[in-house]
Amino acid sequence: MIQTEVRSWDRQRTARHERLGRAASLAKGKQVQASDATALLEALLQPGDRVCLEGDNQKQADLLARALAAADPARVHDLHIVQSGIVLPEHLEIFERGIARKLDFSYSGPQGASIARALNNGRIELGAIHTYIELFARYYMDLTPHVALIAAVQADAQGNLYTGPNTEDTPTIVEATAFKSGIVVAQVNRIVDRLPRVDIPGDQVDFIIEADRPFYVEPLFTRDPASITETQILMAMMAIKGIYAEYGVKRLNHGIGFGTAAIELLLPTFAERLGLKGKIATHWALNPHPTLIPAIESGWVEQIHCFGSEVGMDAYMAARPDIYFTGRDGTLRSNRMMCQNAGLYACDMFIGSTLQIDLDGNSSTVTPDRIAGFGGAPNMGADAHGRRHASDSWLKAGREASDGNIAMTRGRKLVVQIVETFGAGMAPTFVERLDSVALAEKLQLELVPVMIYGDDVTHIVTEEGIANLLLCRTREEREQAIRGVAGYTEVGRGRDRAVVQKLRERRVIRRPEDLGLNPLDATRHLLAARSIRDLVGWSKDLYRPPSKFRNW
Amino acid sequence: MSDSLPLAEVAGRDETASWYEATARERIAGLLDAASFVEFVPPTARETSPHLHLFDLPVAFDDGMIVGAGRLQGGCVLVAAQEGRFMGGTFGEIAGAKLVGLLRAARETGGGCAVLLLLDSGGVRLQEANAGEIAVSEIIGAILDARAAGVAVVALIGGRAGTFGGAGLISACCSHVVVSEQARISVTGPEVIETNKGVEEFDSRDRALVWRITGGRTRVLLGIADRIVSDRIECFREAALQGVRQAPAFGLATLVAEQRRLEQRLRTLGECRDTPEIWRAMGIDEPGDVADLGDEAFAAVVAGQGTRHDAR
Repeated sequence: MIQTEVRSWDRQRTARHERLGRAASLAKGKQVQASDATALLEALLQPGDRVCLEGDNQKQADLLARALAAADPARVHDLHIVQSGIVLPEHLEIFERGIARKLDFSYSGPQGASIARALNNGRIELGAIHTYIELFARYYMDLTPHVALIAAVQADAQGNLYTGPNTEDTPTIVEATAFKSGIVVAQVNRIVDRLPRVDIPGDQVDFIIEADRPFYVEPLFTRDPASITETQILMAMMAIKGIYAEYGVKRLNHGIGFGTAAIELLLPTFAERLGLKGKIATHWALNPHPTLIPAIESGWVEQIHCFGSEVGMDAYMAARPDIYFTGRDGTLRSNRMMCQNAGLYACDMFIGSTLQIDLDGNSSTVTPDRIAGFGGAPNMGADAHGRRHASDSWLKAGREASDGNIAMTRGRKLVVQIVETFGAGMAPTFVERLDSVALAEKLQLELVPVMIYGDDVTHIVTEEGIANLLLCRTREEREQAIRGVAGYTEVGRGRDRAVVQKLRERRVIRRPEDLGLNPLDATRHLLAARSIRDLVGWSKDLYRPPSKFRNW
Repeated sequence: MSDSLPLAEVAGRDETASWYEATARERIAGLLDAASFVEFVPPTARETSPHLHLFDLPVAFDDGMIVGAGRLQGGCVLVAAQEGRFMGGTFGEIAGAKLVGLLRAARETGGGCAVLLLLDSGGVRLQEANAGEIAVSEIIGAILDARAAGVAVVALIGGRAGTFGGAGLISACCSHVVVSEQARISVTGPEVIETNKGVEEFDSRDRALVWRITGGRTRVLLGIADRIVSDRIECFREAALQGVRQAPAFGLATLVAEQRRLEQRLRTLGECRDTPEIWRAMGIDEPGDVADLGDEAFAAVVAGQGTRHDAR
């Protein structure tokens, strides 16, 4: 007979009850006063806990962030932060004060420089920089939070939550925490008797705190049409005619740059005149880009699922339930995990911008002193090898890549980089070596931060033309195809003109004139909206842009 | 190339051609009678800034100032247009000299030709500040001389650069000022206020605030502009024609009336901190909504004010 040690099987549940016991005196039912938030966290948290302090590229549990940053480091220390976005100053402060030590995250945006500094001076012990979907996956594998600090719009006394249009990461975080004996604390804008809809059931929520002001939301996906240049319009025309039309791309995701905003604004004008309506760009995994309003209003779009919401778009989306996913209450329901999955497996194309591209087509948004993180682009911009359903554009891309030579052709997702050859401050987009390589060396990272790997990239669009990397057969050809659209950058001037000419004859490289486009036709007259005010007009006054985007 | 779209044609018959979007030359072309414009000191004369090369900055062959003569509904007009995309439409030595020359020529016509100033300017060009400051004062002098000689000087404002610094001062000296909603008129620009007084005093990135204080709608309600039109070149043309016809005489009576109007404005509105307070004091019911009204609804608000600013 095998002797086994007697062990208990519910140590996590017991620990949970101990934590709840320590915090009981601070709560009335599930409600805790905002002034007691720090005391609550000090009672709940134990050194070394994995904590998700909800924050992504849009909404922020800002009250709870301030409360945690004010905790006593003698009581709360060495936390392991597992959250998608490092965005608020408090997110760094908890590391500076020793409250947290280890970090696993996805996106940093405004705090990119501070993170690089904190890594450099040893304040942060970095686990990994993830994509969203990857970090969420690890919540269910080896990074399950002990405590989740989340944000919602409203709660009722039972702790049911209405997360509103910015639902985003919340269901994913709560599911992982609540069902593994963790503790869920929610800050809410208001406690009410009756919720418009229940996004998170109350039995998954332990504490609710009414905040003194609504949680912060960053308008990250608003691009002012007034800032779109004629160069970007030319690139958008090339992309529409040379990629969208040729592959018949219907299901897609757009990045947040001005190039893709230009494409959105050319759908009802330029693309409509090409007769493409209904043939391209009908189904989207996309945040609520205001620049897509004219295409929606012109009948181009069948449906859109959203990662998050966008400031000012709520009333518009509520009035367009045939297009957006909405609750029974009428407002948008976003979900970052679901939408990232849609972007990975159900989209035929990703098109987005980047800061640097090397000779193999690897791209990065890292600069020498900033770690911006990844967000979702690497999932959108990656061929999903688990995909098993066909579509015309997916198969066409697969056939081009295989040269029709292998028996078992599989499809390819179109992964398109749309960039100007020189970026902000006339920094060249095309480089021999990514800055992220130097950064990885300096910070001794195990992995060079690469946004999209070159072997996933299928096309690069610049003002000089389109390079179709699917049609390249050797590494040398790929390099010359990239140099061939890299303009007057050092990389572009280093091209072998004869090889580039041959690539053009094979349609690997296509110039505007090869596509029947005259660069002089690329004017702002083509934009369906030329200002934020025009977008408001297209929306029939339903879109309410935030103050910083108005010029009236 | 056979399948190339005739896009140029589409652009050409765009009846909604936007003043805000247009270049200085497109504005002139859309404003005047077809093919009537004759440019003075055109780009082919290569009169470029003698200062910019010291800063290793590119020059423009017209120095961002286009001057010439043309016809407006058959009538003679002298026109000056600033290109806001070149150095923010700023007044440098050459640009200033071209405008002074045009205004002096206008005076010589004794009212035979009106002047249209298509202002789009951040003010004096910092790289040639002394020449620019002198130019602004000479321009102001030349405007007043021309007006005294019976010439109507009409300012048309609605470009991206706004009308700031010396350009704001110049606009205040004109016989008639036409704006669009996108127009901004002020002397000290938002960034300058923020830099000197702090973000608490003025947040230059709060665009709604910037337009609430300096924008076309506020300026027309305050009588700093006389007429507000939709952002279409066609609308500016119609308003320019009316402005030329309605320009007030320039004499002592006009200046006394203007002084009274300004004193009255200071008495009633001098304590206001922000625009909604001004609008409320002016008897507008929902001051918070003024910015969101459509052009026609806003025109009704302006008409309801019954204000005419022919005191200039």
